[in-house]
Amino acid sequence: MLGQAPPPVATTERPWGTWAQAASLLRAQRMTKRDRGKAGRPGPPVRTVALPRGEQRDRGSRGHGQPPPRGDLPCSFRGHRTLPLPPPPTPPLSGPLPAGLSQWFPALEVLDVSGTGLTEMGTELLSLPCLHTLLAKNNRLGGPGSLPKGLGQAPLARSLRVLNLSGNRFSEVPPALLQLRGLRSLSLGGNRLQGIPPDIQELHSLEFLYLGGNFITAIPPELAKLPSLRYLVLCDNKIQSIPPQLAQLHSLRSLSLHNNLLTYLPREILNLVHLDELSLRGNPLVVRFVRDLTYNPPSLQELAGRTVKTRNIPYTPSDLPEGLVRYLSLASNCPNPKCGGVYFDSCVRQIKFVDFCGKYRLPLMHYLCSPECSSPFSSASQSSTSQSESDSEDEASVAAHRMQKVLLG
Amino acid sequence: MFYWCLSPHLILTNETTDKLQMCSSEVMEQPVQTETWKARSLEELIRILHQIFAEDKVSVEEVQALMESYESNPEEWLQYAKFDQYRYTRNLVDNGNGKFNLMILCWGEGHGSSIHDHTDSHCFMKILQGNLKETLFEWPEKKGNGEMTKKSERVLRENQCAYINDSIGLHRVENISHTEPAVSLHLYSPPFNSCNTFDQRTGHKHKVTMTFYSQFGERTVCATGAPQENN
Repeated sequence: MLGQAPPPVATTERPWGTWAQAASLLRAQRMTKRDRGKAGRPGPPVRTVALPRGEQRDRGSRGHGQPPPRGDLPCSFRGHRTLPLPPPPTPPLSGPLPAGLSQWFPALEVLDVSGTGLTEMGTELLSLPCLHTLLAKNNRLGGPGSLPKGLGQAPLARSLRVLNLSGNRFSEVPPALLQLRGLRSLSLGGNRLQGIPPDIQELHSLEFLYLGGNFITAIPPELAKLPSLRYLVLCDNKIQSIPPQLAQLHSLRSLSLHNNLLTYLPREILNLVHLDELSLRGNPLVVRFVRDLTYNPPSLQELAGRTVKTRNIPYTPSDLPEGLVRYLSLASNCPNPKCGGVYFDSCVRQIKFVDFCGKYRLPLMHYLCSPECSSPFSSASQSSTSQSESDSEDEASVAAHRMQKVLLG
Repeated sequence: MFYWCLSPHLILTNETTDKLQMCSSEVMEQPVQTETWKARSLEELIRILHQIFAEDKVSVEEVQALMESYESNPEEWLQYAKFDQYRYTRNLVDNGNGKFNLMILCWGEGHGSSIHDHTDSHCFMKILQGNLKETLFEWPEKKGNGEMTKKSERVLRENQCAYINDSIGLHRVENISHTEPAVSLHLYSPPFNSCNTFDQRTGHKHKVTMTFYSQFGERTVCATGAPQENN
């Protein structure tokens, strides 16, 4: 479960009244303690604050009081771990976070403002020195200014570990979010995202990324640069292909791809050695052998480049124009171990099926340097489509060890 | 009316379709008196279940109505609701003196099960929090090699209780919400710890063993071994 403050089931928090109500109640409590002669020794600081949830979305009265002037408070609010929570007779908050948040609760670690109709989270966030969990799901965030400017310089950028913005209206990942370098868990499920920014790689501590239920059509290869990513959810989107670079996510344990527009997977996916869970149902995965018939013959440049590479013809940067030197550096090795050839732009795409655990047949995409190059999965020469039926047993048994579970259907 | 006998062999008779499932020849003839229960707490629900299952004959409608009558109160089941980041969990609540297993399943956002059967047992599923989508499938053909046939689907709301058994079909259960976790209360009778999962595209089945994430509120640590299915 992503970004939930303990306890995981969210309905047990007693609902809040307005800030002013809560404050006055606190004050009353303090007074009572004083009257009883107990020392007003501050207890552990307030760690968790949850605002009332409600169905009403209209901008009624803001409901949140201004923090009282310093002199008015009997003592600071540091003295409370749990706040007595009166039931909410008043409509929930809407609009920005209440002013004075960090003044009132300087030791705040967990803030849950889910379901409060928020349209923006203002500068109040910037002064919270040790917030590690921010839950703001089911609000109206998504417009410009949803996140405050200067987030990257705030203490939050280092302290925040969990951010849940699911059920909002984001159509793009807000750039400010990418400054939260300490983020471990991010949920943007159920928004309106059209894509994933390549700069997602900035969140290098990210372990959990939930992007299910959006309108994402493609995955940037930069996503694979997240070294600690263990849980990646991309279900219920419009993704048509998976970049082979995703195989570099060595820490990945669970990959959710169900209900997308995938017809095949890159064969590199078998390299994800720690992958325990892979969900693929609800994709139009091809079930028959498919060969890419639109093979464009290689250009003269490509043929020359191939020859240079395969025959190890030596060259130095002074021998060739810079553009050609760069071109030669982009050679890809043909995956066929028996081939040893290279290709640049011109390659054959084939979809082969790998039998997994004797249960499922995964359609995996292979690139070959030419139609004549024999497939990595056949020792004999290419014959007809019947070959697709008997795929490499070795590859399958390797896959069986690597993937504990494939939820295909 | 559905009712069954708690003899070693599970009998399933459906008076409307007359399908006899198991090999035992015992056929229920006297209808069971169906009571209308109201469970006012989880504890009371369990107590009444024990009472019902102490009898030789149990009515499906009675159990379903009882389960539905309990109004979910998180404070009563929070201790069993242990979530896992990657997949849904099964948390044993009561083992019904060997007659049934009562467990709570916790589904994070997007978590779902594979298509599965119920090993000739009765399965009741009540929503305690959130919503769960249930998709029913026909049994695949013997040597099935085609896409499995979807029968129906529905979204179950809080406090609703669904029922299924192998003669009705197979199902997939999933939390389709991307923002809310879901919690469900399941009763299986007789208890079982293995079942078959099915590949929707081919109908191929595969036997799996089920494990508990926690039992009676205590986290169970399982040794890693063969792939396991939480079902």
